[in-house]
Amino acid sequence: MSAATARRGPLLEISSRTVVYGAVGAALYAVLGLFSFLIPGTQYVAVRPAFALVPFFGKRFGVIAGFFVGFVGNIVIDLIQGGGLTYWNWSVANGLVGAVAGLIFAYLPPIANEVLRLVVTALGAVAATAIGLLFVITDIPLQGIDFNTFLTLNYGPALLADAAAVVVLTPALDAIWEPLSKRAGR
Amino acid sequence: MDVTPRYLGAGSFLSRRDPRVLLLVPVLHLAAVAGIDDLRPVLACTAVALLYYRAAGIPWRGVRANWTFMLTFTTLLVIVNSVLTPADTRSWGSVLFTVPLAHTDVTWATLSYAATILVRYVSLAMVGFPVAFAIAPADFGVAFARLGLSQRLAYGVDLTFRFLPSTWASLRETVDAQRLRGYEHSRSRNPVKRLLTLRPVVVPVTVNALVDAEDTVNAMDLRAFGGRHRTWMRELAFDRADLLVLGGFAAMAAAMLVARILGLTQTVWVP
Repeated sequence: MSAATARRGPLLEISSRTVVYGAVGAALYAVLGLFSFLIPGTQYVAVRPAFALVPFFGKRFGVIAGFFVGFVGNIVIDLIQGGGLTYWNWSVANGLVGAVAGLIFAYLPPIANEVLRLVVTALGAVAATAIGLLFVITDIPLQGIDFNTFLTLNYGPALLADAAAVVVLTPALDAIWEPLSKRAGR
Repeated sequence: MDVTPRYLGAGSFLSRRDPRVLLLVPVLHLAAVAGIDDLRPVLACTAVALLYYRAAGIPWRGVRANWTFMLTFTTLLVIVNSVLTPADTRSWGSVLFTVPLAHTDVTWATLSYAATILVRYVSLAMVGFPVAFAIAPADFGVAFARLGLSQRLAYGVDLTFRFLPSTWASLRETVDAQRLRGYEHSRSRNPVKRLLTLRPVVVPVTVNALVDAEDTVNAMDLRAFGGRHRTWMRELAFDRADLLVLGGFAAMAAAMLVARILGLTQTVWVP
């Protein structure tokens, strides 16, 4: 077992810490997730900066908290904006991004070099995003679209927009949280 | 912007139901309408969904913006996914017109299928809105717990809704404080630059929330959270009306499933 895993305890443990940090993350994602902007030159590819929180919580607080932040946070955004539970599979995909990030970083050894750690954080977050968002392949039976449409109009643009957010913001959040977590012994 | 849960349907028929009914109905409705290509049965299910929505007593004024957003987004999605780039199997029949640039032939079958998808989404929204506006926010936790979700995660759902107002207030405070220090939101067309300029807002809001969360964790640990089976203030029990509503939607889902298995709803309807 790596040091990172040992520090966190069992991978799927649901402690009071998991519950509270999951809830805080979901609330943060829900509030900050209401803000997005379009990538110029595209009609509907919107970057949601708050998406960076999902892999960050997965990395820092584990698989369950990561899934909770993505899944519940996205549902709350949909409830506030008006989508209801219509796009439930996208909420599951968001949750999977957090869960996969939790898994990836649980099995990576701790990295002392800060620059390298931030680069690995960005790469791990992008990998988690690419894997987790694959769940929206369920749009094929749900929306009746073909694979090319899924790839070029659903998955591709979402991955592009979310990857931009996680590459810029997830390492920034992690860099700030690292010394704080060490000071608090977390 | 109001991010706090709005209990707009208070006092309505649906708000008096066991909240588990309002959470289960969208699942049953999804099972009923998923995978149906024929517009007519989807319209029939939508009529049932409309009756259900009306029973939630949600005032139109309160959700006008939500419906506008939902309809605009879904219509765009359906036009792009089902009209501009339809699967070949649904492009049969005489061509009505060809989409410029995309060179896609649009037929009655294409339009009928697009309408089916749009109506399906609208009906899902009709059964989904009562979850947002006709369940008392304090009932979410107990409802999920009684549906079999881990007691701890169910409490997490409760906590999420309780954290929303304070998180929103913290965001506003942080934006105001950063503006006093000269922060301005970027209007650049470069998305990376725009993301970078958001760091002075996203990072402190997140870190403050995490630091404050430690107090909540300690308080819960001191009260032995998760040590024993959790009890809830609200006792939930299905009454006859709850069972009738659930039974009705379950019967509709079963009927549509049988029709799907028999292949009765898999052909795109062309008038």
